[in-house]
Amino acid sequence: MDLKMISHLSNLSKLSFTDDELEKFSNDMSSLVKIVDTIKEVDIEYNPIADNKNIYFNDLREDIAKESMATENILKNAINSDNCFVVPKVVE
Amino acid sequence: MNVTNLKIREIRDLLDKKSFSSVELTQAYLDRIKKIDGELQSYITITEDLALNSAKNAQNKIDNGNSSPLCGIPISIKDNICTDGIKTTCGSKSLENFVPPYNATIIDKLNSQGMVMLGKANLDEFAIGSTTQNIFAKTKNPYDFSKVPGGSSGGCAASVSASLCAGSIGSDTGGSLRQPASLCGVTGLRPTYGSVSRYGLVAFASSLDQIGTIAKDAHDCAFLLNSIVGHDDNDATSLKAKTIDFASKIGESIKGMKIAVPKEFYDENNGINPEVKDTVLNAAEKYKEMGAELIECSLPSLKYAVSTYLILSSAEAASNLSRIDGIKYGHRSTKGETFGDIVRNSRTEGFGDEVKRRILLGNFVLSSEQYNDYYERALALRQRFIADYAEIFEKCDVILTPTTLSTATGISENIMTPSNIYLDNICTVTVDIASLPAISTPCGYDSNGMPIGMSIIGKKFDEATIIQLADAFEKSFDAISPKLI
Repeated sequence: MDLKMISHLSNLSKLSFTDDELEKFSNDMSSLVKIVDTIKEVDIEYNPIADNKNIYFNDLREDIAKESMATENILKNAINSDNCFVVPKVVE
Repeated sequence: MNVTNLKIREIRDLLDKKSFSSVELTQAYLDRIKKIDGELQSYITITEDLALNSAKNAQNKIDNGNSSPLCGIPISIKDNICTDGIKTTCGSKSLENFVPPYNATIIDKLNSQGMVMLGKANLDEFAIGSTTQNIFAKTKNPYDFSKVPGGSSGGCAASVSASLCAGSIGSDTGGSLRQPASLCGVTGLRPTYGSVSRYGLVAFASSLDQIGTIAKDAHDCAFLLNSIVGHDDNDATSLKAKTIDFASKIGESIKGMKIAVPKEFYDENNGINPEVKDTVLNAAEKYKEMGAELIECSLPSLKYAVSTYLILSSAEAASNLSRIDGIKYGHRSTKGETFGDIVRNSRTEGFGDEVKRRILLGNFVLSSEQYNDYYERALALRQRFIADYAEIFEKCDVILTPTTLSTATGISENIMTPSNIYLDNICTVTVDIASLPAISTPCGYDSNGMPIGMSIIGKKFDEATIIQLADAFEKSFDAISPKLI
């Protein structure tokens, strides 16, 4: 996997790497891709309809309004103010 | 009597007979943890005060005749299962100070029974990995402190093996209960996907993750599982199946039972250590002596197991871990002026290398140019594994395989060679891919005294049969405990 691809993937993944790290991760990812590449040998086609019998239908609950978690509890693990998460101003 | 060596059923009996109190028992475990766990590092957080308080409450229940199966029993909980008001770090810097404001459903279930939580067990970061080494704690193997305990539920397995709890609850995505159980000489049970609610289990790969149990034997695993199964409105994938007693078949004869032995798992070209191979095949012969029939069979797609697993689990991990942004909870970087920079820096500082590799791989296989070659092909292979297993189960009751290719490796050997670790998972991952239940139990020791485990794979929702078979073997097997104090 080349450095250009790693840079592209790190953007998609919202991760940053130094030049040295990019080099290291490029090597690591090449050996990982070598493992997953074995899958390309198989002559196989995916049948999305067949999954209907392999995977259970979601057993959804009734749509009844219930009390949800208190806002105070939801904000406990974050920087917050006035019952909101605090982030830098976003102007686009 | 050394109370910490007892099995859960024995403890239940003695607590009910008032031979000792839950507080005395809990104190005995805490004392042992203080002596051993500084070095073993099976716990990431020890909840001493909470444990003693829970034990007092449990004892009151017992004294008032309101006991229940797990009332007053001290256990450890993997640190990716949310516990209200108690740190749940997932072994990651990104959740170093995360204190969940709610309990996972299984914690509520266990609490309602009067369970005593001794602490949170160590794991690989976000349950991704198989060595249980992270920035907070590096768990050792109780049989040899220079070796890994396996993972990702390595803290659970090591704490049970070293008698630092009576049993443990962990999770299994690609073998994370069975592999460490095997390497630490204890029993690990992954139930059928959908048996146990995943609400409050921090998601790694949602279509594969399943909560299960680790204990000193199969009967104890069943005992623990009985208390956590069942449908949950908060998890749409948890099934409304009829609950049964998973220990109900224990003691029944296994005469005439058909055990499949798929040859690929024993093929030395796939990397199996000859000592492991011989030990598991000897166990198969023991079943034959007990009256079971061995059936040779084949799972030709096994060579694609690790790639299928890596693709599916990494794709799901990349998506699941996108919620870790430093805004709503978790580590927030102090660097960066914009929203985007803060998210990116928080993730970069918070995640370890292995997690980053899987996220990159996940986004690679899901990217539009690669999707058909990797992700869709892996979905197709999942269908093939399901079909192949269904075919094997037409002719037999269970499947017997080794749990790992080799016994525990040295701690330093593992850190530098991630790709070898991936390939080592070949024996366990197909069970997760096909949503089946499996149990790993010790079946021997190598020339260095390290435990060897075998796995019994069952049909969907047929945990009772694999528990029955594991128990039948355990009764005739002389287990050797690790030589600790």
